Amino acid sequence: MIEKEKLKKYAHLLMFDMEEKEYETLQEEFEIILKQMELIEKIPNIKKVSPMTFPFINEDAQLREDEVGDYLTVSEVLENAKYQVQDQVKVPKVVDSDV
Amino acid sequence: MYRGKSITELRELLDKKEITGEELFEKAITLAHFFQDDYNSFVTILEQTKVKESDSMLNGIPYSLKDNFSTRGILTTSSSNILKDYVPVYDATVYKKLKKAGALLVGKTVLDELAMGGTGTTGHTGVVKNPWDKERMIGGSSAGSAASVALGIVPFSIGSDTGDSVRKPAAFGGIVGFKPTYGRISRYGLFAFASSLDHVAIMTRNVKDAAIVTDVLKGKDPLDMVTIESEKENYADMLDQEVKGKKLFYIKEVCGKNIYQTSEDAMLKETIQKFHETLEECKKLGFTIEEVSVEKALLEALYPAYMCISCAEATSNNANLTGVQFGTRKEGNTVEEMMLHTRTEGFSELIKRRFVLGSYILQKENQEKLFLNACRVRRMIVDQINTFFQTYDGMIAPCSGGVAPSFDSTSEKLSDRYLILENHMVIGNFGGFPSITIPYGMIQNLPIGLNITGRVKEDAQVLNMAYQIEKITGMKNIYAKVGDIDV
Repeated sequence: MIEKEKLKKYAHLLMFDMEEKEYETLQEEFEIILKQMELIEKIPNIKKVSPMTFPFINEDAQLREDEVGDYLTVSEVLENAKYQVQDQVKVPKVVDSDV
Repeated sequence: MYRGKSITELRELLDKKEITGEELFEKAITLAHFFQDDYNSFVTILEQTKVKESDSMLNGIPYSLKDNFSTRGILTTSSSNILKDYVPVYDATVYKKLKKAGALLVGKTVLDELAMGGTGTTGHTGVVKNPWDKERMIGGSSAGSAASVALGIVPFSIGSDTGDSVRKPAAFGGIVGFKPTYGRISRYGLFAFASSLDHVAIMTRNVKDAAIVTDVLKGKDPLDMVTIESEKENYADMLDQEVKGKKLFYIKEVCGKNIYQTSEDAMLKETIQKFHETLEECKKLGFTIEEVSVEKALLEALYPAYMCISCAEATSNNANLTGVQFGTRKEGNTVEEMMLHTRTEGFSELIKRRFVLGSYILQKENQEKLFLNACRVRRMIVDQINTFFQTYDGMIAPCSGGVAPSFDSTSEKLSDRYLILENHMVIGNFGGFPSITIPYGMIQNLPIGLNITGRVKEDAQVLNMAYQIEKITGMKNIYAKVGDIDV
């Protein structure tokens, strides 16, 4: 079984935490998931195949001209930010006062 | 009478001036409110609309939109607590096009949180129930969209399909679900789940309506670089083409006549039997239908490969949900602590489990074994299907091994049925193939759906074949006639 500490590490890397009981559920789920993943490795000669990361080559795709298009105003950008100060998003202090 | 009418029927009433767009909207929101407590289709039901001048087929037609499409000034939650108060400041291209066409937004529909799920049970505003049987799920993630169409509240809904998130709930709801070719419809303003698999998709109660809506939405968009050029011709005008001589295949290991013979599941057997009876009827239309075989190990790897790719991409795509610029922010003494609290409280347990899996897959030591091997499975199956498409015009299969599951049902996650039969429609996302679900029968008064998938960019042909098959199913324009309401 995958160690709980490892799962905690992966969760913390993504900036969230879970309850102890939730980690236990996840441990059990990982048992099944890892068994499912083993099915992939059973496929013969898989290493010779080039990985596919998008469905097909889009021949219509072109870089668009570097022209100014529609853009949001500062007030629109800030509309959903809970804390603001001087037209900027306010966050907790990142520099210690004694530095 | 409005409820259950198709786009074409409503268009006729509007053109004859027998009813106005405002009246249709009023009827739609009356139905939406009437069914909300019992089925929970909507996160938001709008209060008013503005009918505009337009010569579009959709002018004055009510519709619903999945709550993961950005709508300026209208709450858009993606059915997640982390976005429960989020009001976007821009419109998704899809919404913009529908507004321009004069279609009338009735409400934003419930989804599985952040579109990551297939049950319709994980949205932050509660469970969506199946209109055909409240004890059963409608499926997901486009759960509320499916329920709103299956209840007859709206003639069409817009959803998103990353694995089968429109086509599966469409099957469980007895309606049509069409996922066009990857890039056929712009995803600008659709909250990304797994960008290499995400499609905008359409739910209606008949194939022609799906073609009509696709015609309005298709086209290249500079704001979504994967969009492709589309034909000027309307798909809705190409539905009557002859299908005699068209060749379809089905995969033996997915739905062969005899592969479930030893199963004790009577529902599964009946579903497969009805599917093969429908194939015989299709042959009478002039289709040639043949069985092909695919390596079972490859088919068994489809679902795990999908989980690897989608969870890895989702982990990255949802990294912007921090509560800083938008979202439900929680307090903390440092920026890191603030983000940790925001994300810990904002995501449900299921979403966190998916993200942890994505994080695990993306760890350096697992990338080759898991992520890249999953991408290799993707290429192998897509190449295999494209090889079949050199001989055949389309692939046909049942969408599931039965009717919509009850809420307390469990699946054996390592069984062939689960790994292959319940998850094969992900092939459409892996290859970006146009793929449509239509209802083809009833079992125990519940609908079952079949799926037709075609070559990339041949959306017109997929719609044409589905339109002809729809004629023999007797299931066109069905909806769940529940509720004592006459609107």
